[in-house]
Amino acid sequence: MFLQQLINGLTLGGVYALIAVGYTMVYGVIQLINFAHGEIYMFGAFLAYTFAGTLGVPFYLAMVLSMLCCAGLGMLIDLVAYRPLRLAPRLAALITAIGVSLFLQNLARILWGAQNKPFPHAAVPAYLHETALRFAGVTVSYLQLFMFAVTLAMMASLHFIITRTRYGKAMRACAQDRVAAYLMGIDMDRIVTATFALGSAMGAVAGVLVGVYFNVIFPTMGYTAGVKAFAAAVLGGIGNVPGAMLGGLVLGIGEAFGAAYLSSLYSHGIAYAIMILVIVLRPYGLLGKREGVKS
Amino acid sequence: MQAERLRGEEARRLAPLRRGWAALRAGQERHRPAVLSLLVLAACLLPWSPLGTPFVVHVAILVMLYMVLALGLNVVPGFTGLLDLGFVGFYGIGAYTAGLLTLRFAGADGWTGWLGSFWVILPLAALHGALWGVLLGAPTLRLTGDYFAIVTFGFSELVVLIITNEVWLTRGPMGLPGIAPPSLGGYVFGSNLSMYYLILGMVCFTVLVMHRLAESRLGRAWFAIREDQVAAQTCGINLLTYKVIAFAISAAFGAMAGSFFARWIQFISPNMFKFWESIFILCMIVLGGMGGIVGTMLGAALLITLSEVLRVVLPPALVGARFLLFGLILVLLMRYRPGGLVPSAQPPRGRRVARGRRGEAL
Repeated sequence: MFLQQLINGLTLGGVYALIAVGYTMVYGVIQLINFAHGEIYMFGAFLAYTFAGTLGVPFYLAMVLSMLCCAGLGMLIDLVAYRPLRLAPRLAALITAIGVSLFLQNLARILWGAQNKPFPHAAVPAYLHETALRFAGVTVSYLQLFMFAVTLAMMASLHFIITRTRYGKAMRACAQDRVAAYLMGIDMDRIVTATFALGSAMGAVAGVLVGVYFNVIFPTMGYTAGVKAFAAAVLGGIGNVPGAMLGGLVLGIGEAFGAAYLSSLYSHGIAYAIMILVIVLRPYGLLGKREGVKS
Repeated sequence: MQAERLRGEEARRLAPLRRGWAALRAGQERHRPAVLSLLVLAACLLPWSPLGTPFVVHVAILVMLYMVLALGLNVVPGFTGLLDLGFVGFYGIGAYTAGLLTLRFAGADGWTGWLGSFWVILPLAALHGALWGVLLGAPTLRLTGDYFAIVTFGFSELVVLIITNEVWLTRGPMGLPGIAPPSLGGYVFGSNLSMYYLILGMVCFTVLVMHRLAESRLGRAWFAIREDQVAAQTCGINLLTYKVIAFAISAAFGAMAGSFFARWIQFISPNMFKFWESIFILCMIVLGGMGGIVGTMLGAALLITLSEVLRVVLPPALVGARFLLFGLILVLLMRYRPGGLVPSAQPPRGRRVARGRRGEAL
């Protein structure tokens, strides 16, 4: 029981971490809570559903296509909605983000309908749903292994991009001090665009994985997942990428144990409660820097 | 250069329009009591005019209910400059306070037990809302805007979760049916028509309170905080105290509107108080122009009317998706008219950049 919950929690936590990274990167660079990020995750799931289920594209290819489309969507959102507001008060950008989120969610309702949709079984390779390992009363499916592998691979490549590449260096510079980065000749707009693309692609992968894992997708799925991932980002210290990864895992495990041992009714509430407590008691998060949070 | 010249031309073309609008506003300023009385009179006569079909009266009640809500919310983002994403939590607290007290204490006629009377419940619900406002606000209002917004959001989600899951108290997702309508003496506010006048009275009361608040020392402190926290603090304004007061007052009005809602619609359930409701109300004050009373009311009137008309006009499959339009309105407004339809003050655009926090300016 304990081990099983731990594994379930890690699987889900990895997904939260994938989404949380998108929040935290955007926040790090332009200090915006991108409320529309949860909707990108939802679009990721629905696009993969359309590619794999309706158009018959192989599952893995559909996943990549959905990633690419969502990266484009993320860049488009930034270009159309957020970029004109870079110099406006923070409140304006935040309200815009909420507007974009509302717009995308209802766009999905119009495009795909408001009902819950099962992820088509035929579209997903059959072995993913089989049991891979069984030990000490614990079962692990291939899907869980796959999710874990994908999460790890994405995180590793993201870490590589941020710490080793020219772009990553520029992004960190922007996050640290925008003006100084600008004076060093870093093209802010390009960095922000790339950040949105990267974060959105990660979110899309998370959407596909969750869609297959729970075998259900619906237009409002981005809302809950988005909030939880944001809670994870806050938990790890917003703006801090390793923090977001850690926060996602902690939240996933906390939720799995909370649902198993406390109350399954309040499993959503655990994320909110953790988030509020962290914001009040330790607003800079587990790994965050102690600055710029209190006014 | 080119763009500037174009803008100049546009300004010249629009000049007569501007002058007309200014004259209208000036006239409204000079004859404010007369204009106000005329508006209230018109509102009183509406149900008796040929326009006053049951549908119109129903929508009008909804409009006025949301006017109270929007004016209540407006205190926090509009007056004080803090984003509040959890307003609907207080609305829900008010509605459930009223619903539970009514079901427990009111007799069949809605009057027997004094604790079940609408006129006792209304202030109790407002107090209950304010209490939660203080409890939530006191520890969290020290945080900067973004974090505060997220906490309020989490709070409203927790409120919905609790009223969904504490079935012994709230009957959970089944909701509370059969809440008696308000009554006064022997008279029961059983019809939409009587509720219309009740909510009209509440709107007048709210507008009066908001107007007096905005003109008061308290209001000036809020505006100072909104414009520049650091400067406000330097002038000796205790930021936390004034923010908590704003939050509590806002919460009280939310809860008050909630108690009216419960006694009007006579059935409440948790999913009436979801997060999107908060956004809907926020959308109203953004549309109308944050911080202004007239604008906020106009925003509520426009959005509710739009929403209700779309509900009737759109095919059933698309009714749920009408929020798409509200999302679009928010985005476009922030882009092209951040001050809303009736800007209450010069929107601080661009100029602030030089004074922004480290890393905020470019």
